[in-house]
Amino acid sequence: MINRRTLLQGMAAGACASFLGQLSPRQLQAASNHQSTPKRVIFFMQNQGFDPKTCVPEGMTSSGSLAKAKLPEPIEALEPYKERLHIINGLHGQHTSPSHSAFFGALGGYRGSDGVPPSAATIDYEMSKVLPQTLLPHLCIGMDSIENMTTKPTIATLSASGAGQPIFMHSNPNHLYQMLYGGISTGDIRQQHEAQSNLFNQIEKLAAAKGESLPLTDQLRYGQYVQGFEEINGLRERLASVSDHLRKFAPQVDERYTKPEFETDWHDVLLDLGISALKSGITNTLTIGSGRGEIFGAWKGLGVEQQGHNLGHMEQPDNPIWIKIRQYNSRMLVRIMEELESVPEGSGTMMDHTLIVYTSNNADKQHTSGANWPVMLLGNFDGAFKTGCFTQLDGKRPINALYSSLLCAAGAPCDRFNMNEQLASKFDTASGPLKEVLV
Amino acid sequence: MKKVGSLLIVLLLGVCLSAANGEDYTPGQKINKDYETFAKQFLANHCVDCHGETEPEGGLSLNDLGPVDEVNSGIWKTVWAQVTLKEMPPPEMLQPDVVERLKFSDWIVDELKRVMRDKGGFQAHLDPDKGNFVDHDLLFGPLPDGITLQPTSSPARLWRVTPEEHITRLNELINTEPEYDPKKPGLRAHGDAVPTNHGGELKLYFGTDRIIKWQGGTVAYATSVKSVPAVLSSARDHGLENYPHFSTVNSAEATQIMTVAGDLLRYMAYGPLSIANPEQITDDPNTYKMEGDIRGLPTALVYSTKIVRPLTPVYELMKAENVSDEHLRAAVDSLFESLTYRPPTEEESNQYLAIVKQSVDKLGKEEGAVLGLSAIFLDRDALFRPELAEYGTPDEYGRVMLQDWELGLAVNHALRYIKPDAQLRQAVLDGRMRTKEDVKLEVERMLADDSIRKPRVLQFFRDYFDYDLGGYICKDSRALAETGVSNRGTSHYRSMFDATASTDRLVELILKEDKDVLKRLLTTDQVVATNSDQIYFGRRRTPDEVKASIAAEKKAQAEETRKLKAEIETLEKEIVELKAKLEASPEDKALERMLTKQTKELENKQKAEKKNKRSNTNHNVEPADLSGPKIFARVSRRSFGNGSLKPDRILATVPEGERLGILTHPSWLVSHSDAMDNHAIRRGRWIRERLLGGGIPDVPITVDAMLPDEPQNTLRERMRVTRENYCWQCHKKMDPLGLPFEMFNHAGVYRETELGKPVDTTGEIIDSGDPSLDGKVNDAIDMIRKIAESERAEQVFVRHAFRFWMGRNETLNDAPVLQEAYRAYKENGGSMNALITSLLTSDAFLYRQVKPPAQRADQKAGDKDASKVTAR
Repeated sequence: MINRRTLLQGMAAGACASFLGQLSPRQLQAASNHQSTPKRVIFFMQNQGFDPKTCVPEGMTSSGSLAKAKLPEPIEALEPYKERLHIINGLHGQHTSPSHSAFFGALGGYRGSDGVPPSAATIDYEMSKVLPQTLLPHLCIGMDSIENMTTKPTIATLSASGAGQPIFMHSNPNHLYQMLYGGISTGDIRQQHEAQSNLFNQIEKLAAAKGESLPLTDQLRYGQYVQGFEEINGLRERLASVSDHLRKFAPQVDERYTKPEFETDWHDVLLDLGISALKSGITNTLTIGSGRGEIFGAWKGLGVEQQGHNLGHMEQPDNPIWIKIRQYNSRMLVRIMEELESVPEGSGTMMDHTLIVYTSNNADKQHTSGANWPVMLLGNFDGAFKTGCFTQLDGKRPINALYSSLLCAAGAPCDRFNMNEQLASKFDTASGPLKEVLV
Repeated sequence: MKKVGSLLIVLLLGVCLSAANGEDYTPGQKINKDYETFAKQFLANHCVDCHGETEPEGGLSLNDLGPVDEVNSGIWKTVWAQVTLKEMPPPEMLQPDVVERLKFSDWIVDELKRVMRDKGGFQAHLDPDKGNFVDHDLLFGPLPDGITLQPTSSPARLWRVTPEEHITRLNELINTEPEYDPKKPGLRAHGDAVPTNHGGELKLYFGTDRIIKWQGGTVAYATSVKSVPAVLSSARDHGLENYPHFSTVNSAEATQIMTVAGDLLRYMAYGPLSIANPEQITDDPNTYKMEGDIRGLPTALVYSTKIVRPLTPVYELMKAENVSDEHLRAAVDSLFESLTYRPPTEEESNQYLAIVKQSVDKLGKEEGAVLGLSAIFLDRDALFRPELAEYGTPDEYGRVMLQDWELGLAVNHALRYIKPDAQLRQAVLDGRMRTKEDVKLEVERMLADDSIRKPRVLQFFRDYFDYDLGGYICKDSRALAETGVSNRGTSHYRSMFDATASTDRLVELILKEDKDVLKRLLTTDQVVATNSDQIYFGRRRTPDEVKASIAAEKKAQAEETRKLKAEIETLEKEIVELKAKLEASPEDKALERMLTKQTKELENKQKAEKKNKRSNTNHNVEPADLSGPKIFARVSRRSFGNGSLKPDRILATVPEGERLGILTHPSWLVSHSDAMDNHAIRRGRWIRERLLGGGIPDVPITVDAMLPDEPQNTLRERMRVTRENYCWQCHKKMDPLGLPFEMFNHAGVYRETELGKPVDTTGEIIDSGDPSLDGKVNDAIDMIRKIAESERAEQVFVRHAFRFWMGRNETLNDAPVLQEAYRAYKENGGSMNALITSLLTSDAFLYRQVKPPAQRADQKAGDKDASKVTAR
């Protein structure tokens, strides 16, 4: 029965919840996970699919330890790190329509396709909201051919903050450098940074002036608009205020930025910038789109002359081209881990509190039903994830279940991520996180 | 006019009587009463008999509810909905009188607003879903004693532009859309909205009108071309999507607008050169050698040399060798007007000029001008449209009439997404946008001219009918296959985006005639169709019919094969004979020619025999026989290479007895379906709210709104759970109105059987508010025919039009405006143009409330003017 007494009881429980809500994210994390260190998560999405044969050790058909297994050639760079590695085979994404890329659906766990707008927020954005607040909550970088990165330096294909709200990824390292380190830069970048700062300050003033005499009902809504500029300017000022700190982490701008020989020069420096943003604490959520969520992309710097669509039509196992690309990815993963390991944090290093999710926006291959969606996890996220093992699932749980696991480990448990009960009755045989991956 | 005159008399009588007894109720004025002396008494008189302390109805006890506070706000909201919608007290109990009910309802809203002010606020009553909470009979019928209306107006406010408006506005900067062609009125023309692309995404495309060659297929093209998605977001998809208070612009959007601004300015200055290499711009595509596989790269495109983008002062500025104040000023002023739709004030012009100059000083002309001009994209008036009325003296009701640019842009925005045309602009500049007559003149002029495209009018019909969501309903692949339509790739979704464009066109055709618009939309036998609509408008075959169809095809194929074999045998014999003859007469050229001809024919027949006989026939559906003249529908710029949406359509007639009006078209049906099945509740809700004017309270939070997963049972059978007492109170308003649409499956295909049995399509109209409508219906067609004849449905349609164009819910004070709008519609033969003109010349559209209305103490003086305003 609903009466005042039951309402008050409910209110008391609600008050606890709102009290928790007022704690800082770090305190919230401490309260829910009994740990006080910050956490961070990196999503690395290689396009064209992730064939399980390029990551599952030969002969390994059931779940087990990786200790005695030998990693396949494409990911052999991870061999020294396999105690941190968890290879998961047998998730599915059939509901995401991943053939020719699921686009936003890959990280959203919903139907996506070329030209289809996001229908909800993606997991990287949701994680950025749950993790302790940073200056820049979420950074997305996209790697593509040099022509695409030059003429279309910001596109949005993978991440979204809500239905119809795409998040743009940065592909021009010069622009990204200016955004992150403009305050400590020199030369042209400095000039641009100052001009842009001046511009945004003036826009904020103009916007504020035009809001002074608004009706009461509009003040709040318009105030959010003006506040947007305050946030933009505030971010820049906050970055400037920690410039001494940032200087320790900002990469050196060299010719790879201004005169890249191959697109991989830009891929490398974009990764540097992403890592530096993590190490400096500017952000704690990084999304890397290699191939930018589409079915093209280029890796001429690796000696891969063929580009784009054709790569997706090739079988990946034992394919020298795909071995090169996957090895390049693996070296990038190693680089992220080494860099994060080099920064002490709590009683260990940054890497101890980090999780890398490596997979593809295309499930296992370019033309796929999404029946299998292999994933590699690196790191244990402060002890939350099992590592050093291979898990073979039965293909009946969707990638959404993995995303629920991430949210659970980050302190925001949910039974389902972006999947209603009706869809779940067709596409998920259980609810809640994947017990196979969480400690 | 007679009716209005009578109404005025009634209103004035009401005013006099009310003033005499001192018990006036004026909608919108604060109810100065408290819980103890007013609300508690109301609850005691009308509620606690059933909702008392012991065994209360529905488990809800109201005897100790207490004044509105944060704790019980949810219950008070429920009480508000139930009492306002006259659901409570139940009919058999003592009813409060009209004024008492209205006062109680207003009191709750006032209290909820006060209590929730610092807790996210209370805005439920402002949501368009709650528009019908105002009693229809009070709006259109005589008012009882004790109610005094006040001259109406809308709040002073800012409207944020919609994503479609914003993209269309930006599109004007870089693309030249074709002028309206009266011979091909369906083709997209200048002034039409930028529509969504092949996948349903709203994007702005760069230079697609100059692309004359590309490497690769559809996906390669989509990746190669430059496009940017809509930056502004819209959280709503059903119903009216654009009330002024819905949206703002957040910091992420502002940052992205800056980035997009740079891209646009460069394209305005340099055209395709800003996104391509010089050698890619040629009228002879063969001169540009595409080395190797470059599919998906921007270098895989060839652009023609013909300049088609608008050349503006931004182009002149960037083309000039030096920077001059004259060029800078011209670029600032023209860009400002292109983005805000009005010329800048001198102060604004100076401010932006200073900004651009500073940037140019810092970064040089190229970079500096682009950066500096980008600021204008973030001007308040480039993203919001102000209706602040910060001029003149408010009348005694706190109202000021809009004027000049604010009024001109309000009129323009009521119909269009692009900037005011030359005539409207001149009218504003000449001071001819200050009176109701000025507005009428411009509105009538624009409505009469087809070449002035009016996408806002079409958007109203999209918002009202919600037929544009089909492509976004994610279908379960197997469930989709069971409907009989193709579930291969994105075929179904493409068909749905095509269907939206087709229905848009059908709406426009009916608007063109402008007669009985609502009735025709509900009962038309016309359909604008693509090829795939033969299936979507077809009839689902029964399993036996499917078998028979397959067998018939096999038989036909066998017959064809037999015939082919016989022909091959004959040809082979003839060739042998010809060869023999030719051997005998090697010089005979005629024989030789005959032999060559017969040999070729034999080869063709042999090829035909070997050809894969896999059938493309869809045996699951009896295709509809759709034929008619060729017409066009408005589709997006080329977004997917040769696979882009095509404008070609036919205007056909739907199969008789199976379809009637757009509620029976797949675009509407699929928009009101879900992944697995029809959505009878959502369909029923649509009928209840949009045609019958009924209100549905929010789903109680205690309800687990799930139907059982029983694939062996029909939807109707599974919906038995909504018949439980607690649910049925609301569901009886929806389910029996949605179930008649079970004559279609969830892809919109007509069906006569379901799960092997004749499909049950019956339903019932219950408590519609018009007793002549109430009663059982055989199917959707029966129901639609009945409702389409109803005056009430037309009035409810007018209410929705009011909400769309005023950007707010109606109040009782709007009754005269609604009645006048309905009269205009009706007396002009169901004319949408007359309806729009009436709305746009009403006080609700023209006046803005800039300060609170005078309170009751001041009411007397105002009452006289209330009648004046009503009579305008």
